[in-house]
Formats: sequence, structure tokens, C-alpha cells
Amino acid sequence: MFFIKELEKTIQLHPSYFGPLIRSHIHRELLLKEEGSSTGKFTIVCILDSFDISDGQVIPGSGAAEYTVHYKAIVWRPYKGEVMDGVVTSVIRAGFFVDCGSLQAFVGRNMIPSDIKFDANATPPQWTDNGDQIIEKGTNIRIKIKGLRSEVDKMYAIGTMKEDYLGPLQS
Amino acid sequence: MKVLSPSGLHYPITVGELAKKRDDEVQRSEPLFTYFYETIVEEGDKWGEKKNVKKRFPVKFEASADGTITKWFIKEGTVIQRPGLELLEIEEPCTHETQFGGLCVDCGKDMTEVDYLTKELNSERATVNTTHDNVALLVSQQESRRADEETKKRLLSSKKLHLIVDLDQTVIHTTCERTIAEWQADPENPNYEAVKDVRGFQLADDNVANVAANWYYVKMRPGLQEFFDRVSQMYELHIYTMATRAYAQAVAKIIDPERKYFGDRILSRDENYTDKLKSLHRLFPNNTDMVVIIDDRADIWHYSDNLIRVPVFNFFPGAGDINASFLPKQQELVTTPSKSKVAESTAKDKSGAEGEAISAFSVAANPTETVPAESTNGVVSELEQQLIQMGAGESPEVLEQQVKEQEKVIISQQTERPLLQQQLVLDKEDEEAEESESPEAAENGDSQSSEHHRHRHSLLHDDDRGLEVIEDNLRRVHKAFYDEYQKKKIMPHGGRVAELKGEKSPKKRPLDDAIPNVTQLMPRIKRKVLEGCTIVFSGIIPLGMDVENSDFALWVKSFGAEISLNVNRSTTHVIANPDRKTTKVKKAARYPHIKIVNAEWMFQCCTRWERVDETPYTIEVDAAERGGSPFEELEDDSINVTGDEEGEPYESPTNLDMSDDKWQSLGDEFEEFMNESDDTEDASASDSESVRSTASTQSDAKGTKRKRKRKTDSADGSEAEDSDASVNSTSRLQKRKKRTMERVTSLTNVVSADKSSGLPSPETTGPEEGQGEEDDKVFDPQGQGVDLASDYDDGLEAEMMAEFEKSGGEDDA
Repeated sequence: MFFIKELEKTIQLHPSYFGPLIRSHIHRELLLKEEGSSTGKFTIVCILDSFDISDGQVIPGSGAAEYTVHYKAIVWRPYKGEVMDGVVTSVIRAGFFVDCGSLQAFVGRNMIPSDIKFDANATPPQWTDNGDQIIEKGTNIRIKIKGLRSEVDKMYAIGTMKEDYLGPLQS
Repeated sequence: MKVLSPSGLHYPITVGELAKKRDDEVQRSEPLFTYFYETIVEEGDKWGEKKNVKKRFPVKFEASADGTITKWFIKEGTVIQRPGLELLEIEEPCTHETQFGGLCVDCGKDMTEVDYLTKELNSERATVNTTHDNVALLVSQQESRRADEETKKRLLSSKKLHLIVDLDQTVIHTTCERTIAEWQADPENPNYEAVKDVRGFQLADDNVANVAANWYYVKMRPGLQEFFDRVSQMYELHIYTMATRAYAQAVAKIIDPERKYFGDRILSRDENYTDKLKSLHRLFPNNTDMVVIIDDRADIWHYSDNLIRVPVFNFFPGAGDINASFLPKQQELVTTPSKSKVAESTAKDKSGAEGEAISAFSVAANPTETVPAESTNGVVSELEQQLIQMGAGESPEVLEQQVKEQEKVIISQQTERPLLQQQLVLDKEDEEAEESESPEAAENGDSQSSEHHRHRHSLLHDDDRGLEVIEDNLRRVHKAFYDEYQKKKIMPHGGRVAELKGEKSPKKRPLDDAIPNVTQLMPRIKRKVLEGCTIVFSGIIPLGMDVENSDFALWVKSFGAEISLNVNRSTTHVIANPDRKTTKVKKAARYPHIKIVNAEWMFQCCTRWERVDETPYTIEVDAAERGGSPFEELEDDSINVTGDEEGEPYESPTNLDMSDDKWQSLGDEFEEFMNESDDTEDASASDSESVRSTASTQSDAKGTKRKRKRKTDSADGSEAEDSDASVNSTSRLQKRKKRTMERVTSLTNVVSADKSSGLPSPETTGPEEGQGEEDDKVFDPQGQGVDLASDYDDGLEAEMMAEFEKSGGEDDA
């Protein structure tokens, strides 16, 4: 699910950036470092334009300046039961891996409808019902999150395809 | 899941009431039963007196897992004495056999949760990783075994085996030098032909040296597409590389653009857990019976039996393996490759004039020998030295340092551009050559006919034939495997008997029985190659290294040869450095049956899996060395021997330290002697050559006769030899020379060579089998003292030579 969230970030700036363009430097730094990063709970999708930069403080000893930036961002936090779209990255006998943005999900054999079978002899290997449903690397797919676990900067999810309207997307 | 009595309870405990019946559903932390334990507690009463009272406490036992109770092992009133006893069995709805990132794939529960009921982490249930490109997906032993079985059936039905393919220097060679791009853009460049199919790529997340856009240039081994095409009919291919995932994928895209050979079966450093080793068990945790590996390095596989070691593909001279800084240091890197390169190039220079006997087949470890030795070797060894220093100086745990090392290599390739430098050197030489119109230019030019008119020689040579050899070997293994499989399938062994006996489940006869094992099959094929050879290395393996465990020695050993440290009677081959006449070589030269060959012979044998004819690789030991001072020494010895032998033909004190088989042969000899008493003179004569000069023509004739009687097949050769010996009026030196010449040229394999080594003798004593041993007998005892001394000297001299060479080489570099 997507949220707008207020966040705070401390940015250190090298003295060579001190000058009239200092604000844009900070802005760029913020976008570069934060957008797309995952905290383990949520992923920062997009930083909104209005943000608030505190006064800089020179750090004793190094000459770099430290700024605290308050900003708003659109973040995405997956929940158990959420339906999401992703791209298949790898297909193996035990299931297949799906990338949904920053979240890596795995759909196991038992989470795939029983009419879709693994075909190891195909090149490359794929899951298929020998009809129009083919799951191979690069397939766009819709899955539902069945389990979720987060580590420090990573999230893992277990997906299922065994419900209505889930599965490969026709594109 | 069986629930056992946990440790940490106050045993003995008495079971009270069972809260659940059989087939009841339980939830985690629901009470299963109650139990009582007794303990003595201190109780105070209202008068302040304290006394110890035995008390009984009731406790609830809670379920540690969801599921259905299938069996109770206890009933009301059971007394449980100790931990570890079975209490009940719960059938779980999900056994969490496959887990992804700490989540059960089937039920989506978190496997890493710990609470007061947790006895064993659920994540412990799945610990095996068999996925190529992911470390987060783990399965249980059982599950992996099931998967293996399935794969096995599939492979057997399609008549395939697994083949693990290494990338760097096995099927491709990569450099980061941008010179390649310049050469590619310039059709005038002499290297244009060789580099035009080189493919470049950049890695998006590459921050090597903080240069975002680092270009990698990949050269495919010649004939790679066809190789994959044919091999993929017999094998299911996997990539296993020590490069990063991004690199591996980029390369896979180049060598397999349609992803039809490898699919997603790519394993890189990122998924390998360790930087030091490649392990088959990472991919095949249960059995490796159907796996074959091709790699250019054996050490990182721990000399696995599944490995087919392939000749190194070294297209860009001096580039090495850009991913090698992550690997453990290669053993011989310091001296041997460069040395052997020198060896090869000199050998080729020689043979080039003689019709290119060797270079016609150039699986050579390094297909670039035609480059003038000084220029490449200088650079190569420098670079290797650098690599070594980096490899040696590292503390093995520090990945960061390794990354830096890799960076350093890449930066040096980017900035120093060794290839360009080498080409410049070549061009300069060409100019000189052009001016003088030396014949050398013509000679070099003929290998470069297309460029000949330009009089510029290319640095890169697109003439690697390694893949053909690899394919032959792969074909051989595949055939051997499925031949044996068919044989075993046709002959139902044991299973049939069991069936008739009515033993249980004949159907369950394990599939494994019928499946041959590559780890047994391949060593069997390989061991035949050099069986019976005893090899001595001289000037090949750096000093101070354990010869027995050096890379080369292990390699040769896997082909059935034996390694000995010093030249002795049983030695059949000396692998030597042609530039250095070590004492071992000199010593070996004295024994005519010992073949002195260069390292190339060994490479050829070990890559082609056949015993290659030694002749093209023989190192010429000139007459002076063969017959020089060591000969004098030897002559003295042999005279001594003759004295001994003639004086005491039946027994002699020289036989004191004989081994059993020697005694055996002695016995034979003695018997022979007794049987043929008319040949006394012959029998008494030993087979040392000195006898021949003294032996009468008559006795020799007799000897010939007798021999013909016994051994018709070799009669011709021996007769010639014998007559040669009997007419013998020329000096012994000449005779010896002649004999060695004959041996080297006319005999192609060692079996006959061994025979011939016995032949020159008057052939009087002992039966044929004993001949070799007789030789031993005659030489060993009398030569012992001298040999020991010379052995010692040999060692010392060799060491000094090596030291000297090394320092010389460094100066050169």
C-alpha cells in the first residue's frame, strides 16, 4: 500500500560544494540516496518537492557540513494479503521468483494452480499449463502476498497464485 | 513430528490427565496434558519455624506446533524419567520444507520466530541451497533429495549428464584494455582479424576504481557456439564462475544469447558463500554421480574427481584472469607458467624450422608462444608477480582488499595497456626485421600469411584448439557413462535374485544401483593414460614447494602416473625445463630408457587424455652431456660391477639389501643358470654393458639362440642389438650413443622401450620378466654410494641453479 510519509534525513556535504548552489546539491544528494531505498519496513518511491533544510553545521575535524532535511515522500509498504504486480526474474523447479519493485517474492510449487506444471525440458525452463499461461523469465505476473518478513534493509515475501484473477498478465 | 520430553523439566514427572485425544487438532501453545512433579520446598509456618516439605506441583504441557495428534506414547500415570523420551506425535499441516528468506514457502509463516515454546528454530529444517541464482531459497535435505531424484530421471531419459562450465579462461577470456576497441575499429591493424568478434560490455553497477564506465572485452574461445551446440545434446550445462553475478550474466548473454544452453543455471561468486572454493555440493548436495566439470583450475575444486581440467584459454597475453584475485593464489603462477612458456616458445622455435610438428596442434597451455619470448614473458611475469604479491599479501578474510586487488589489475590494464605495449614491441621488431630482411621474418610470417604483405605481426592469435579436445573428452565420458548404464540396465543384478526370493519391494530397488558414477568412471578412464609411468620433475616446480602436492604432480597423478623425487631405475619420464640442464636431467640421460621431455608433453597427455608420442617433446641432451663426465663415473661403476658379478656369480654381498621381488628374480636367474649349465659363461655374465666387451662372440651367439627359443616376438630387435654388441669393437661411448639414439627414435611407447632397455644385454640370465629387475640389481648395489653422493649434489646444484635462474629472471623482468 502507498502512503505519504514525513521523513528526516541527515546529509553531509563536502566543503567543495559550499556555494550558491548548495541547496540544489542537497536536493540532488537526497534524491540520489533516498529514492528507491528500502528501510526494511517500506520503500521510498518518490520524494515530494517541498522539503525543509535546516541550517548547516560544520563538523569539527573534517570540514564537511551536516544538514538535516525534513521531507515528504510516497512510500510503499507491502502487507500480507496485498495483491501486487511484478516481473518474474527466475524460474526453478520449486517455483519462481518475482520482483515487485524493491520486494523480492517467491511463489512456491504449492502456491501455483495445479494445472500449471513445471517443464524442465523447455529452453529456458518454464511453468506452463500448455495453454496460454506461460511463466518464464520476464513474464508480468499478479500475485498475492501470503507471508512477509523484513530484515534490516530487505524484505522477503511469499506469494500465491492460487486465487481468482492471479497469474500471468496478458500484455 | 515427534514430541520428545524436553530437557529442563523436573524429572521424574508423572503424567496426569491427557487433554487431547488421538486425531484431535491442536494449536500451538494449547495444553496437551498435565503432569506432576515432586520437589522439596522450605515452608515457614506462622511461628516462624521453617521445615522442608515434599510437595507435588501440577503443570500443563503445551504444544510446540500446530497439527493433528496421530499417536500418544504416554497415558495417564506414566512416569517419565528423563528428557528425550517420546511423548506423542503430531502431524503438522506444513513441515516447512522449502523456505525463502526465512519464510515458509507453503504456509507463509515466519520461520525465525523464537518464543518460550521454541525448541528448535523452524529455519533449521531447511538448510540446503540448490538454487543457482538465489541464496534466500533453502530446502530441506529430504526435499533436495526428492528434487535430485526427479532431475536424475529426467536426465537419464534424455541421455544427458550435468556439465558445469567455468567462464574465465575456460570458454572465454576477458580483458579491460580499451586497446581492443581501437584495434576493432581499425581494419588495418594486424590484430583486426583476431579481435573482430570480441564483444564488449559495461556493467551498470560497476564501480571499479570509481570509473563508472569500465568496458570489458570478451573473446570467445574459437568454435564456442558449435561446441555448445554439440555438447548441449549430451549435457545439461551450468555456469559456475567466481566472477560477480552481473559479470556472469553479461557474459552469459554473449555466449548464449538465446539462453538455450544455460537458461538460468548460472552460479556466481555472489551465491557461492565462499570466494576460495567451488563446491559441487553447493549445487548437488546429495550426489554428484552425474556431474562433469570443465575448468582450467583444479585447485579450487579440490582436485575433484568430476573435473576435466582443460587447457587455459589465454587470448590476451598477460591479461590473466581478471576475476582471479578472488581465488586462492594459483600454485605455479610464480615460475612455472612463464617458464613453461619459455620452454614452449623455444621448443616451437626449434620445431618451427623443422616443420611445425608441435604447433600444428596447438592446445598449448598458452596459444601465444609465437610472440617473442622476451617481450611477453617480461610483461606476463611482471603482471603475474603483481597478482601473486596481491594474492600472497592478503589476509584471507578481507573481501574488500580483494576487491581492491581486482581494481588494481583492471586499472593497470586500463592505464598501462600491456597489449598495446607488446604490439608496439612487435611492430618495432618487425621494422627491424624488414630492414634486414632476415629469414626470421619469413618464418614468423608464415603463420600470419594474411598479414604477411604488411610485414606487421599481430600480437593476438586466434588459433586455440582447446575446445575440440574438451569435446572429445566430454564425448568419451558421456559414452562411457551411458554404455555402462545400458549394461547395468540389461543385467538386473541382485534385484532379480531378490525378486525371485520374494524379498520385499523389488520395485524399490534403488535407482542408484543402475546408475554409474562419474566420480569412478572418469578416474578409471584417466588412470589408463599414464599408467605405469614414473615421472620426475626437474626445473618445473618452484623450489621449496612440496612436489608431491604441487598442482602439476596432482594433475599427473590423476592420470595414473607416479611421481618420484629423484631419478632412479623405475623412472620412465623426466619432465624438465629445456633451458636448464639440471643434474636430474643429466642423470636421467645416463639411463637410456628414461625419456626426457618438456612440460608440454605432460600438458598434451593430460588434456587429450592419451599418451602422446614423446618424440616431438623430447629434450635433446647432446652427446657431450650424455657421454661426458657422468659417463666416466658410470663406467667405473660398471667395471666394478662386472668384477663383482664375475667373481661371485651365484651370490654376492652386493645383494644384501634386496627386496623380495629382486630375490625372486635372483632365484629365477639362479634356476636358469642351473638348468642351462652349458651356458655357464653366459649366465655368469651380468647384463651390464661392460660384459659385452669381454664376452666372447661365441657366447653372444648362444645367447641369441637361446633368446630366440624363448621369445620369438622380440627376437629381431634383440638379435640386431646382440650382434651389434658382439661385433663390438668400437668404443663403448659410441655404442652407448648409438643405442640411445635408436631408442629415442624407433620406439614409440614405453612398454617396448622398457624391453629394449634390457635387450642390449647378452640376455643370458633370468627369464624375460626379470630383466628390468636384473638391471636394478646390477646397477643399484654397486652404484649406491656414488648415487647417494650425487643425489645430494644434484639437489644442491638444482637449488642453486634455480636460485640463479630466478634472480636472472627477475633482472630480466
